[in-house]
This record gives sequence, structure tokens and C-alpha cells, in this order.
Amino acid sequence: MAKVSVANNVSKSNRNWIRGYTIAGFFLFITYQFLLPWDGLPSGIYQTVNQWMPPSAVNESLVYVIMALGLNIVVGYAGLLDLGYVAFWAIGGYCAGWFMSEFFYFLNIHFFGSVPAGTPGIHINFWMVLIIGGFVCALFGVLIGAPTLRLKSDYLALVTLGFGEIIPQVFFNGENFFGFNISNGTKGIVVVDPSPAGFKNLGPFDAGWKLLLFLFLTAVMVFISLRLRRGRLGRAWLAVREDELAASMMGVPLMRTKLAAYAVGAFAGGLGGVAFATHVNGVYAERFNFAISIFLLAMVVLGGMGNVWGVILGAFVLSWVNGNGLSAFGRVYNDSFGTSIDFTSFTFLLFGLVLIFMMLFKREGLIPESRMKLLMHEGELDDADSDGKKQKAGK
Amino acid sequence: MAKAAVATKFSGTPGQIRRQRIERIGATAISLGAAFWMLINIIESPDQFAQSAIAGLRNGLIYAMIALGYTLVYGIIELINFAHGDLFMLSAVFSSFFITYWIGADESNGFGWFAFALCLVAVMVFGAVVNVLIERFAYRKLRNAPRLSTLITAVGMSFLLNFIGLKWNGSTPRQWPTVIPSGDIYLGEIRISMLTIWLFLIGFPLLLALNYLVTNTKQGKAMRATSQDKDASTLMGINVNKTIAFTFAIGGAMAGAAGLLYQQSIGTTNYNLGFQLGLIAFTAAVLGGIGNLWGAVLGGLVIGLIQGLNDGLPIAFGQAWSQTVVFTILIIILVFKPAGLLGKVTTEKV
Amino acid sequence: MANVLEAKNISVAFGGLLAVNDVSFNIPNKSIVSLIGPNGAGKTTFFNVLTGLYKPSAGNIIFGDRDITDLPPHKIASIGIARTFQNIRLFGLMTAQENLLVAMHSHLKAGITSTILRTKKQRKEESDAEDKAQSILDFAGVGKWTHEFARNLSYGDQRRLEVARALALDPKVLLLDEPTAGMNAQESQVFIEFINKLVAERDIAVMLIEHDMKVVMSLSQRVTVLDQGEKIAEGSPDEIKNNPRVIEAYLGKPKAARK
Repeated sequence: MAKVSVANNVSKSNRNWIRGYTIAGFFLFITYQFLLPWDGLPSGIYQTVNQWMPPSAVNESLVYVIMALGLNIVVGYAGLLDLGYVAFWAIGGYCAGWFMSEFFYFLNIHFFGSVPAGTPGIHINFWMVLIIGGFVCALFGVLIGAPTLRLKSDYLALVTLGFGEIIPQVFFNGENFFGFNISNGTKGIVVVDPSPAGFKNLGPFDAGWKLLLFLFLTAVMVFISLRLRRGRLGRAWLAVREDELAASMMGVPLMRTKLAAYAVGAFAGGLGGVAFATHVNGVYAERFNFAISIFLLAMVVLGGMGNVWGVILGAFVLSWVNGNGLSAFGRVYNDSFGTSIDFTSFTFLLFGLVLIFMMLFKREGLIPESRMKLLMHEGELDDADSDGKKQKAGK
Repeated sequence: MAKAAVATKFSGTPGQIRRQRIERIGATAISLGAAFWMLINIIESPDQFAQSAIAGLRNGLIYAMIALGYTLVYGIIELINFAHGDLFMLSAVFSSFFITYWIGADESNGFGWFAFALCLVAVMVFGAVVNVLIERFAYRKLRNAPRLSTLITAVGMSFLLNFIGLKWNGSTPRQWPTVIPSGDIYLGEIRISMLTIWLFLIGFPLLLALNYLVTNTKQGKAMRATSQDKDASTLMGINVNKTIAFTFAIGGAMAGAAGLLYQQSIGTTNYNLGFQLGLIAFTAAVLGGIGNLWGAVLGGLVIGLIQGLNDGLPIAFGQAWSQTVVFTILIIILVFKPAGLLGKVTTEKV
Repeated sequence: MANVLEAKNISVAFGGLLAVNDVSFNIPNKSIVSLIGPNGAGKTTFFNVLTGLYKPSAGNIIFGDRDITDLPPHKIASIGIARTFQNIRLFGLMTAQENLLVAMHSHLKAGITSTILRTKKQRKEESDAEDKAQSILDFAGVGKWTHEFARNLSYGDQRRLEVARALALDPKVLLLDEPTAGMNAQESQVFIEFINKLVAERDIAVMLIEHDMKVVMSLSQRVTVLDQGEKIAEGSPDEIKNNPRVIEAYLGKPKAARK
């Protein structure tokens, strides 16, 4: 009974994160926007940073962070395994493609867009598209979840996986979707409008300012995650994660609670999808594959399911390794040893090992949430099993 | 013990009856739609129909053999063994190397058949050993851990095998010579390749042997007992670890054989083959009723048939939508009849 | 006295087995009633039907003047039927307070947006709920464990916390499934006093499944006996004590009477 402190930590809020986050974010931004391009900097530093941590890699990592935070709500908070999260990324991306480009060339709709008024296509303001993308994804989350959430957990994982395959395939073949072109197929929707940041429009080369933008979006997701976690819904998620049946007996509507987790998680997927489209200035169908869903899952698992800071760390590290770290390391290794090993092909090995070893030896993740740590190390049979046996023996 | 019900008129509460009715109407509508679709196609082009159906069934046999591994493992430890599809892929690559490089057979003659027979044994042992090792080093430690963590481990294992396949096979599809006689025979207008016939002649006895193994041998009985109640089985003197390892072994052996048959019938291998075929096979297992051996076989054949028809018929979505069709079936089945075609409904006890 | 809950001719079938066969049962307002019977008599199954977990194959459940047979479990819980479990099913990794707040879920109103924005209304609702949770915890005698994980509590305290959690639903009927299992005589006595106090102070009826006859006899106004899914006796504790069918169900038939 001496563990009072643990529980106290759980219920204490970490309100001070905003200050720390702002300082760290500001430091990053100053570094990439002003310090690195500065002529007075010794050129060695510039090159090292550009090789190991170019601004675009940081931005891409942040997009992964946004989405991992969304997946964390589904997997970490509510305990539902989602293996098709890439579907939301794709939908969010195509929202940006549809509403912020010349894709619908036969239309001419402008709404505070960032391109001259005469340009064909739909051009809606970036911030509004963010919100549209988020809500469209949330809607899809509900549509996917509604018929399937009553299934047992591993069947649910499978259905999400199925949707994660179907939706990208729809976009992939979307050049002729019952006679309509909804996605330009494999050609993708190229040149998404630059995102307006108030004083200027952010094109492909404004990585520093985009960094600021993505940092802001990440902060929004952290904020949403932390607030929801401490409220009525967050408690219901935890209860469902621990004991679905007892939760329903205590008046928690299972379907609605799970659907809410799906919707909020999908919303983040939408934000990430729109953000990614502006990051690469286009939408490409072949980028949305199953591996992405697993990458995101590995990020959540590595960092620590249920803990936003852990998830941020996991997402940042793994997406950096995947996007830039591994190839940079490969270049250095090959240069210094005269070998020609293709290090990027080791991604699968790396992600596979991360999942396996984390589950075998540190199930709760690098920065664990205190409850998850306990939950993951419950060795004994869970209540449902032993209960079931009693019933069987009883009858 | 409660008495047997005297009144057997039990039909459920109004809510349950409504749900049952919706399910029945839905199932009827879907079956009618499928029947209608097949009918138009038969009228449109009967030859093409027969040919696509046979091609589909051939794939279906391979799906069935993979699906058995899923169903056996799920039946005994309730784990969706994501890595199973990749084990199949590795087996296909193994077979290719075994026959072409290690034995050196590249045409269908007596030596080719010798290589094939040797490879069948070798690849089944290979599949069994790899699967047992996976169980021993990854899943066994997690047997009492939360479901989520075992499933995540399986996904990780799948990635790991994928990597091995990538390094072994290379990142692009690879062509191989085959040793099973090609050539066709004609039934009227319908062309059937010899390959298909051989595949069924080899594959079906394997399925029968497996079924015998599970239903009639001591090990098989131990398996079924373990799947019902691990603690009670231990008390009855069954070595649970050994039984689970045995289950993984025969599942792996079937995946191995499926890998060989696939490689011989298609002639190409690719490192990412396991993911797609694995998923289709799992769909087959679910369709048939997971945990049910003949259900997996039936499910495999049905999925193969539908996919074959979809890919080959004039009036269909076509190959580009293959995955979508299969997964839509999966979702419909899971939503309307989670127990599958031959499965039993289970309810949670409190 | 009016009945708060009436179960009429309930039958439950699992496949071909009748676990509960044509059982009717009433709980009067502010009463304490008990359900007893040998192992496997169908007592817990009957509880599961009342709380909506199993749907009966025949019969109706009337709560107040409303037919709740077809309602889903969470609805039944939120309109006022709360339960505890035979094996304690607390949310072990949530604090005592959070356990109660989960049970208040259906009475709270904050949605996603107001939680994210932390509106004034939401904050007030939360702090009111926390106060209420504390008062229930105090009432149940586990007030000092507010911020402790439920799984860290002692067995007796976990039992008390489970009752507290059920009370947080503001129930009209409280169903207790073997509440004194594993308690010693002294703890059982404390529990008996607690239940008496509960019914005296609140507008609540209590139904017990219990094996400890001392608890049953000293608490209940009426006892119902189930055997093999059928109701074999009903009456005051004294009547039940001397009922030959009840004795037979517990001890078996005398040898001579067997065929």
C-alpha cells in the first residue's frame, strides 16, 4: 500500500509542458530558419546538419508525430489495435489534393486560397482544408468503426487492416472509379497549393517556416490528447481498455466510446494527411501502403503506448531513422569502409526487431505511461478467463 | 447441471430476432447478387467462366493450405499469426533455390520429379522448423501477456521474415524454371493445364493427411484438448508446450508445401508475396470459421474461386480491384457472420 | 409495498440448456432480498439477465413502470440498476476516484469539445463529480484511498470500493454477487452493518447472491432459492430454513427416496 505516489503522478496534470515545448520548438525553428543559412557559420556544421538532420527530415518526422499521436488515442488510450491507419492519412492527403489544387480543373472555386483568383480548380484556405480533412477522416473513422467495433479485438484489427488496403487501392485505381477520376491514379495530384502562414505563402523551399507550422499542429494534437485523457471520455477509454464488460456494466456505452476514439484518432490522421501533402507539395497514391500503418504502430509501441511524450519520441526517432538516419549512416559507413551496402533496405529488419524486442523485453515502451507498465506486466490470467472457467464448472 | 430445454422454440428477444432477420436478408441479397453475377457471366462466355473458375480454384487450394496454418494456430492460442504469410513466402523462395540451384533440376523429367519430391519433404521440414522457432523465441514468452502485445509481436515477426525474403530473393520478382509438366488438356472447349491437375493431386492428399493427423492421432487429440482448456490439459498430463509447438510445426509444414506448390505453379517469387497471400488466406480461414479445419479448406476454395472469377471474367471489377473484392468479403463476413460458414458462435462468459 | 424491479417468468437458454427456467422475482422498494442456491443453480446467470448482459429467451423485466428487457447493459446501468461481480472487476489501474468517475459517466455531460476547451461548465461538473465521489468513498469506508490504484487496495477494501463504484451510478437497485466471499466473520459483520446503513439512509433496494447463511439470514427480508435453474422456494429467512425442498437441494435426497 506504499505506492500512493505512483497514482498521484497519474492524476496530476502536466500543465507546464506548454512552456517547455514552446522553448524547444522556438529553438529548433531559429536553428533551421536563421542559424543554418547564416553565412558566418562554419561550413562543416552546415554540412553535417544537412547530412544528418536536414530541415525536410525534421518536418517529415513531425508529420509522423502528428499521426502517431492520433494512433496513440486509438491504440494507447482505448486499447483498440488499428492496422489500417494509413487509410486516414490517404483520405487527409486527398482532401488537400481535391481542395487545394488544380485537380478539378473544370471548376473555379476560391475561398481565401493562396493562388491568384483566375487559377482553375478548387482553392480553399489551408487552415480550412486542415479542418475539413480532419472532419472527413473522423467521419470515415465512424463509418469504418460503426459496423465493426462490436467485433472481438483481433477481428477488429483485421477489419481495419482490410480498410487500410481498400481505401489506398481505391485511390490507386481512382483514375477511373466508375467512370470518374477521383484521384488521378498513379500520377497523383501534383502541386498542392502553398500553405499561407499569414505573411507569406509557404512553397517547397520554406522548410523553416513549415517547421513552425508543423510544430504548431503537433502542439495542437498534444493539447487535445492531454485534455481528453483527463476528462470524462479519457476515463471511459481507460475503463474500456481495462475491462470492457465491467465498463458497460457501469453505464459506459461501449460503441460510442470506441467510436469517439476512432473519430479523434482519424481526425489526427486527417491533419497529418493534409500536412504531409503540403510538406511534399503533392499527393502520391503509391505512398499509402501497409508498411506505413506498421511504421506508425512501431512508433507508438517504441515510445510507450498511452504516453504522448513517449509517442513523440518514438515517432521522431523512427521516422528520422527511416527517412534520413539510415541512409545517412549508410553513406558514411560506405564511404569510410569502401563498401556498398544498401542500408535503407534494412528498414524492415529494424522495424520488425523494434516491435519484437519491445514486446519481449520492454512492453511498456521507452517512456512508459505508469499504468501501461503495470498493465503490460500482468502475468496471470485475466478476469474474463478465470471467470469463464468458474461459470463452466458451475453449470 | 441444468436440464435440457423442454421447449425448443427459443428464438430470442425481439431485438435479436430483428438482427437475425436483417442478417438473413443481407446474406440472401448478397448470395443472390453473387449468383446473378455468375449467371450473366456464364451466359456471356461459358468457356471463360470455366477457365477462370479452374484458375481460381487452383489458387484457392494454395490459400486453403496457408489458411490451415492460421486456423490451427488461432484455434490453439487465439493468435492471428501475422508472420504465417511470410513463412509461406520464405518457403516459396526456399523451394526455388532448392530445386534450381541446390539440386539443379530445371525441366520436367524423372530427375525433375525426384527434385520435386525431395523438395516437398525439405520445404515442409523447413516450414515446420522455422515456425516452431518463431513460436519458441517470440510467442511463448508472451503467452500470458495481453493479446495486443502478442499480436504486435506477430506483426514484427512478419516484418522480420519479410526482410529475410528481401535479402534472399532480392527486391524484384524472380523467374524460376518449373519441374511440374506443363501442357494442357482439353475438355471440349475448356483448357485445363496439367499443372492444375498435378497441383490438386499433390495438394489434396496433404489436406487429407493433415485432417487425419488432427482428428485421429494422439497428438491431434492433445491439440484439441489444449485448445479447449490449457490448464485442464496440463492436469491431464498433456505437455502443453509440446502440443503448441506441434501445432506450429504442422501449420508451418503446410505453409511450406503451399510455398512449393505456389512457386511451381506461378514460377515467380517475390519478397512481398507473403503479405498479400497471407491476408487472403486469413480471410479464407475467417470465412470458413476460424478454428475449423474443413472450414479453412472451404473458405480457401471459395475465396480463390471468387477472386479467379473477378480477375478473369468479362463482367467483373477486374484484377486491379482484386484486393478490394477480397477484403470487402472479409469485412462483410466479419460484420454479418463472425463465426464464419462452418464455425460455431461463442459468447463471453461472466 | 411497490416493487422497484419485477422479473416475470424469466428463462435463459444456452443452446439446448435451460440455465434459468421460468423464474419470477420481485424486489420491493427499500428492501433487502437474497438469492441463494447450490453452485450452478443459475444465480449469477439471473443477475446477468437483470443487468442486460444476457437476454432472456422468455420473460420480461420491469423496472419501475418501464420494460427494460431489450435495453443494452449500459442503458440499464444508467437508469439505476448497478451491480458488483463475483470476482472483483474493478478497473485495477485506475484510482479509486477514477473508478467512481467512470461509473458516473452516464450522468456527466461533457463532450469532446468542452473537454478540450475545458469550459467553465466542464470544470464545475468535474469538481462536483469529484466531490460526490469523495463522499461516496467516505460513506463506503475507503475515503483514504482516493488517489490509490484500485489494485493496490486490500481485498476487503476492494470489495467496498466495488460497492462504492456501483453506488456512484445512483442506483435504485443494487445487485451484489457474493459480496462477503473471502471475508472473515468480523469483516462480514461490518459488511452487514454497512448494507443496513445503506438501505436506511438511501432510497435503494439491495439484492444479494450469498453463500454465507449468517449474512443471508441476518440481512434479508425475503429469500429466494434457486436450484437447477428453477425457483424452488421463496419466503422469510425462517421459512426457508425449515423448507424440506431447500434442505434437499443443498444436502441431496435421503438415500431411501432415490429411485
